[in-house]
This record gives sequence, structure tokens and C-alpha cells, in this order.
Amino acid sequence: MAAAAAAKIAEVRETTRVERIGAHSHIRGLGLDDSLEARHVSQGMVGQVSARRAVGIVLHMVREGRIAGRAVLLAGQPGTGKTAIATALAHALGQDTPFTSMAGSEIYSLEMSKTEAITQAIRKSIGVRIKEESEIIEGEVVEVSIDRPATGVGTKVGKLILKTTDMETVYDLGGKMIDSILKEKVQSGDVITIDKATGKITRLGRSFARARDYDATGQQTRFVQCPEGELQKRKEVVHTVTLHEIDVINSRTHGFLALFSGDTGEIKPEVREQINGKVAEWREEGKAEIIPGVLFIDEVHMLDIECFSFLNRALENEMSPIVIMATNRGITKIRGTTYKSPHGIPLDLLDRTIIVPTQPYDEKELREILSIRCEEEDCQMSDNALAVLTRICKETSLRYGMQLIMTSSLIARKRKAHEVDVEDIKRAYTLFYDEGRSVQFLREYQQEFMFNDLDDKDDMEVETN
Amino acid sequence: MRTEMTDWFTQLKNAKKSCLKDKNLKKIHYELENGQQMVEEYNLDTDVLTRRAWKCMGKFADDDKWDIEIGDPEPTYNSKGDEVIKESTGQPIVSRRNTRINLEWRIRNLPYPVETYTVTANTDEHCLVVRTTNKKYFKKLPIPDLQRLNIMLEQANVSFTHKFNTLIIVYQKPKQLLDFEKALYNEIKNVEPESQDVNNCKPS
Repeated sequence: MAAAAAAKIAEVRETTRVERIGAHSHIRGLGLDDSLEARHVSQGMVGQVSARRAVGIVLHMVREGRIAGRAVLLAGQPGTGKTAIATALAHALGQDTPFTSMAGSEIYSLEMSKTEAITQAIRKSIGVRIKEESEIIEGEVVEVSIDRPATGVGTKVGKLILKTTDMETVYDLGGKMIDSILKEKVQSGDVITIDKATGKITRLGRSFARARDYDATGQQTRFVQCPEGELQKRKEVVHTVTLHEIDVINSRTHGFLALFSGDTGEIKPEVREQINGKVAEWREEGKAEIIPGVLFIDEVHMLDIECFSFLNRALENEMSPIVIMATNRGITKIRGTTYKSPHGIPLDLLDRTIIVPTQPYDEKELREILSIRCEEEDCQMSDNALAVLTRICKETSLRYGMQLIMTSSLIARKRKAHEVDVEDIKRAYTLFYDEGRSVQFLREYQQEFMFNDLDDKDDMEVETN
Repeated sequence: MRTEMTDWFTQLKNAKKSCLKDKNLKKIHYELENGQQMVEEYNLDTDVLTRRAWKCMGKFADDDKWDIEIGDPEPTYNSKGDEVIKESTGQPIVSRRNTRINLEWRIRNLPYPVETYTVTANTDEHCLVVRTTNKKYFKKLPIPDLQRLNIMLEQANVSFTHKFNTLIIVYQKPKQLLDFEKALYNEIKNVEPESQDVNNCKPS
């Protein structure tokens, strides 16, 4: 009984997938108009007008695709929208341009060397658009049936009957295919194409033969003819893959050796050289097109001196992408050395970069951002509450203020109100400490905590000695 | 030799060939000048080609798969079920055979009576087209043998029968093809097998 109920819940979850809300999910683009002027509030972006305008120019440089290996540094205090601008750039570039986002500390891995990790990230940011013939299945869905085992666990079994005007065939579906059919909500009467190798489903429309059915169809439903001839066809399709993906495909060790080497791991330079040659050849023959993308390294001060000098060299390659870095550090030590440098980046690399500063938000902008976040998190807030919250942001930080949106909305919901009021914000503010109050609290009660070494440094030294 | 067939013939003649002999089967591996690889298998009792396969050239990497042109398709062993989509096992399946005088196709799992089918030779696309009146099956059967030699298809050479759920389509080999196959076979005779016994590996 319980198992059946659980299966039912799982099914509901599957059909209406829950969209989760991240820190930057309200951003849809850079919010620029055609002349690259930044609109004050647009596409989820607020303020930072000059930084956005600068990144807009970088966007054009990427789109043009002729310039390789430039570096851009986004520098600013914490919480001034550096990552937000990078996310916006990724959205503005669109699906087809590779955008690799990584944090500086990601390169420290035991599996591979630092330079290998950077090389992989660089090659992930260069796309290759290739025309290739692939097998596709195109037809009208006659029947789709997906059976779940009676126990509720185990693999699902799926069957799909497709037809054209000339033939009809029954297909068995694999697990991945069943998921994408459920996700696309394919039903009988739809005309679809399936890429046989990748399993990608494209919905072309509904069959004319079904036009008379009293289905509740949306306005955008397109009616198309049932295809004719064979179900399976060879068609030329355009793939976009990254250089890294081609590397991985070609470096996979076959046979029992695969047991000892992990799925990724280091890729031999010979393989890369071979692939570079091959891609150049395709490019000359007109079979392939290079799409240079963007590599975004967040918290770039976490890279050490070796990485910086490697980056220096890597940027000189004509196959390298545009590298965007972000840091919130001032003049600080370069990691791996005792030297100090602005942003924790050595001067020679800094010399190659164009630096885009971000400014702290003013009160009006904070209010705007908070109201966008309220909308994103599905939370109604009264004007007074918003004013209070803006005040809190001003005094503490924007990040802390945004945390209070959801918490205070849950508090409001508990008292069955549909709008968050000042009281709820106050309650959330007393329940959850911000960093400033936490420090104050620690200062007051440090004697009761373990390993307190705030004031009595001398004692500590005695202990360690 | 006619002029129009020499192109393909010289390609095969110039190809790098190696050969294996296994009981009454002779297998020849061709490496063509354009990098393609092809394997033929001859039955030495009847001197008839029994299998021909082409190596699939993936765009990104060698797929290690063979495209069977003539002969039964290779059986798939315990596939892990990670295929995305595939035809159900009860669906019609085409296999090609080669005899001394005919090109043959067998389409298994076709239960409909013989009146249902029509097979026409499509000269524009160089293929035979199988149709059914009940609109359950439709297939274009390319004939690469003839296409490579630029031989036109003729409807008169086509015949078909239906037996045991199987549609057998027969295309009579034209004179040019017979000539070509004979010339090629003579060429192959000169290729020496690498070793007499394939299974000379001695397990310790």
C-alpha cells in the first residue's frame, strides 16, 4: 500500500518537474538595448550600468568570434553582481555558444594536474559545429505505452508505434527514451522525429488526421501532414560539440584498461594535437565551423602562480576562448608566493586583462533587486516590509537580505497571511543572525566557546609550543 | 572489361589486400585508397561471395562497427539495454544474400499474403521499392553492387515469392555484373593467405 502510494507520488513528480530557484535564476540576459545602452532594470538585471555596458561590448567581441584569447576581469566587493553579470552574459550568448563556468578552487584535484584542469576548461569553451549525416526516425505516433513493474521498482518497459502513410513499425524504448517521452508529453497523433543515436525528440506538430478530434489543444498547436515513405531516414544534422568532448571520445581506452583509468582523467597531448589537426582539416574542407566561447573563472584569486603563468601562455594560442575572471579581493598575496599584487593576480596577467569594476548598489537598486527576488521566489511582500528589508540590506548585506525573503515568507504563511509584513521580517531578523551580529555575539561570549583565540593570542602560542 | 566498370575495379585492384583462409572460407580485407575498409568472404566450394561488410567511419572516432552489405547481420549479444530506441524483435528484418546468378533479399517477419506486395525498380534512386497495399510495410532496398558499376535497374529482372512469413526478392544479375565478379575473383586468387591455419594459437 505504502509502496504504491510512493510510486504514485514519484509519477506526479516526474510529469510536472519542479523548477528549483537558484541565486541567479531571475537573470535572463544583460538587459541591453540595440545600441548597447544598459536599461536600468531589465531582464533581471539592476544597476551596474557601466559594467553591463562593458560586458555588452565583450559579448559583441565573442559573437564576432575573430578575437581569441582575451581576458576580462570583473572586480568588485562581495555581493555587487559579478557572478550575476557572468550569468547574464551566458544567457545573452544563447544555447549554441559554449560557456564554461568554474570556480578557481575547482582545479585542485587529486585526479589530474592543475594545468590539465585548466586545459580541459579551455577546451570545453571552444565549440565545433559539424554537419553530420545521422539516422532519424520520423513519423506519426499511433500508440505509446509505458508500463511500470507492479512492484513499483525496477526498469520501466516502453513501446512506441509509429507510422507514415506507407508503413507502421513497433519500437522498444530504453529507459532514457521513456523519460524523455514522458517529459515531452508525447501522445498519439503527434508527429515527431527521433535522433536514433542521441534519442533527442523533436515535436513537429499534430497530424491533420487528428484535427477533428475534440482535444483541448493550445493555440500554438501546429497541424502537419503525416510523413510518407520510410520511417527511418538519413538526414544531415548540425551538431555542436566542444573540443573537450571530442578529446574524451578519442582518448577513451578500450578493453580491460578502461577498468584502471577513470572516465575522465588526463588526456594525452598527442590526442589533443591530433584533434586540433583534424578540426583544422574539417574547417578547411568547410565541414566544420569553430565557435569560440567563454571561460568564466569565478574566485580567480584561488588560482596559484603556476596557473597564472600557464594561463598567460594559453591565452596566446589562437584556439583559446575569451576568459572572464571575477574576484572580490583587493591588494593581496598571490597564492603560492609571498608577493602581493592587486586582486591577487600577477601583474603580467593583469596587464593582459581589461578590468571591469562593479560598484556597490545604492538603496533604490537594492529595493529593485529585492522586489525581483520576491517575484522569483513567489512571495508577496507589502511595501513597508520591502522598505524594512531594503534597510536591512543596506546595513548588513544584500545576500543576507535575500535569505530573509524566503524565511519571512514561510513565517507569514504560518500565520496564514498571504502577504509578508514588517512583523514577519522582524521575526526572521531576530531568528537568523547576520554576520555582523554573529561576530558581536562571539565577542561577548567567547569565553564559553572552545579554542577561542581572539584576544589571548599569547596563551595560544604557549599551548602550541 | 567495359570502360564504365573499370573505375570501381581499379579501385579494388589498387587496394591494399590481405587474406585469411578458414576451412572452406576465404576472407579478403581491402583497404581502399580513400581510407575505407571492406571485407569480403568467399565460399571456396562454390566460389560465391557470402558476406561483404564495410567498416563504419565515425566522424569523431572509430566506432568499431561494421555495416553488413551482404549476408546475415551480426548477432547482438546481451546488449545492456542502454540503447535509446530500437525496433521490436517482431518487426520485419532485411538480410541480403548473394548466389551465383541472383541478388537476393529476404524480409523476415512479414505475415501478409503475397498479393499484398509490390516490388518496383526505381531507376532514379538506384533501388528496389517494396510496398504493401495495407500500408504496413515500405522499404527502399539500395543495390550498391549495381550502383558502383553504373548499371541501370530493369523491372524485368525482379521477381519475388512469399513463404514462411518471409518475402524473398530476387534480382537476376546482369551480364556486366557477372563479368565484373569473375574478373575480381581471378584477381583475388592471387592474394596469398597469411597463414594456412587461423586457429594456430596454442593455448597453454
